[in-house]
Amino acid sequence: MNRRGFLRLIGATGVAALTASCSRINSAAGTLSSPSNLIRFPEKTEMIFLTDRPPQLETPIHYFRQDLTPNEAFFVRWHLEGIPTSVDLRTFRLNVSGHVRQPLQLSVDELRSKFDPISIVAVNQCSGNSRSFFHPRVPGGQWKHGACGNAKWTGVSMKSILDRAQVKAGAVDVSFNGLDVPPLPSIADFVKALSIDHARDGEVLIAYAMNDQPLPMVNGFPLRLVVPGWYGTYWVKAVSDITVLPQPFSNFWTDKAYRIPSAPNGTESPQNLATDTVPINKFNVRSIFVRPDSDEILHPGMPTEIEGVAFDAGYGIRRVEVSTDGGTTWADARLDPEIGKYSWRRWRASWTPRNRGQYRLMARATNAVGETQSKEQWNRAGFMWNVIQQVDVKVG
Amino acid sequence: MTPKPKAVVLALGLAALVAGCGHSSHITKEADHGTADLRMESMIDSKTDNPVHTIVMPHDEPEFPPGPGRDEFVTACVVCHSPRYITMQPRFPRAAWLSEVKKMQDTYGAHISDEQALQIADYLFSINGKAGSGKAPKGTYGE
Repeated sequence: MNRRGFLRLIGATGVAALTASCSRINSAAGTLSSPSNLIRFPEKTEMIFLTDRPPQLETPIHYFRQDLTPNEAFFVRWHLEGIPTSVDLRTFRLNVSGHVRQPLQLSVDELRSKFDPISIVAVNQCSGNSRSFFHPRVPGGQWKHGACGNAKWTGVSMKSILDRAQVKAGAVDVSFNGLDVPPLPSIADFVKALSIDHARDGEVLIAYAMNDQPLPMVNGFPLRLVVPGWYGTYWVKAVSDITVLPQPFSNFWTDKAYRIPSAPNGTESPQNLATDTVPINKFNVRSIFVRPDSDEILHPGMPTEIEGVAFDAGYGIRRVEVSTDGGTTWADARLDPEIGKYSWRRWRASWTPRNRGQYRLMARATNAVGETQSKEQWNRAGFMWNVIQQVDVKVG
Repeated sequence: MTPKPKAVVLALGLAALVAGCGHSSHITKEADHGTADLRMESMIDSKTDNPVHTIVMPHDEPEFPPGPGRDEFVTACVVCHSPRYITMQPRFPRAAWLSEVKKMQDTYGAHISDEQALQIADYLFSINGKAGSGKAPKGTYGE
């Protein structure tokens, strides 16, 4: 290689790579740049590193080429510094109390042996998935599209647990608390609630297995609430205390946090903030590109498989359309068979780019009740992103 | 006329960059990874035959540049969360940083005075700020 070639190579890749791998803190300028590094946590593979304490870890998109997201790659999001790092199954109990005739203290073994197991394949998605794509930018976990995953959850239906506890007449809500604890007494413990009817719908689970394995500790070992079709904030991890309430549940994490504008799709504008808000609830409909990556080089005349996943709150994905010209024309993608109503559904489209140049790929999913994706969307919390995704690729 | 001097300068430049990285937290991180991996495998084994399941959390927290307000930031904020809660954010106007600090003070009960809140906001703005009057919308973000 001649000197010019060497310099070009170093200039293009070497320095960029070195700079990227360097500390994100540039003391000389006293500034920070944005990170995209990876980290490995116990029982996890290398994941996109948002924060370490408490951990927030994002799934690299290539794992979405699999129908079920591996446990070791499943996204992680905790709220409070005091997360459980040790659980003794001999003493751990799931306590069911409150407005019931028969309070329960159940070990994980009892849940496995004294109840009928049920399994469901369901997407779990963080309320703030894709937050980093909102403009203007909003504070919070700066997720790209990997704060979601699809897994087979196995456990006991909440209905069967509540039936065994004999819920008294007049129950309104059921609250769920986990083993995590706040670092200051002034910070509210992370507790979430569902209505009694929702908790008893037969689909809400207390899961002791994820993809047929115990859950990783940072994904909620030993038990996790599974609320199919609802945002991850309700999927309480390391759940240990279930309380049936004769009045509506109220706490910071429901009354003040995790609220969305009551307008359709939770939208508002920075100039005109919503005054009427409701707790976040069901997923809206969205799709995510899995391939090609924007840094993949495609070639003219070479068939290219475009692929992604789409999901909603459980009505079912009926159509995914793909555009390769920035939204001017659209064609139907092929849908893989449905795995389950709460699972994501894979879509594929074959495309042979004819000419060199830049192409803008887009995908738009529509569900069985006619809901489709947003053209634009904003809210102050950065929740429920479902704008039609654009991926710019180079054909050369 | 020889190209060598430039090449030497370039090589030195790269060496300096590499050396610069040596002072960053990434070196420690590699070491931590090795330990975490070993621990992880023993924990997975223990899950099947040991009723006590334990993990050891890795810590990987960046150093922060010196400047006014740094001590207040380190004392008041890092008690409850990793400084990565700052480094993962995009650049925000000063008003947005102040609104975040006030949220920590008013909503979560961070032990800081109003004066310290201003110092911390100034520090965060100095390391991860951008010009603009864009005031952060009032309200709770919750996440």
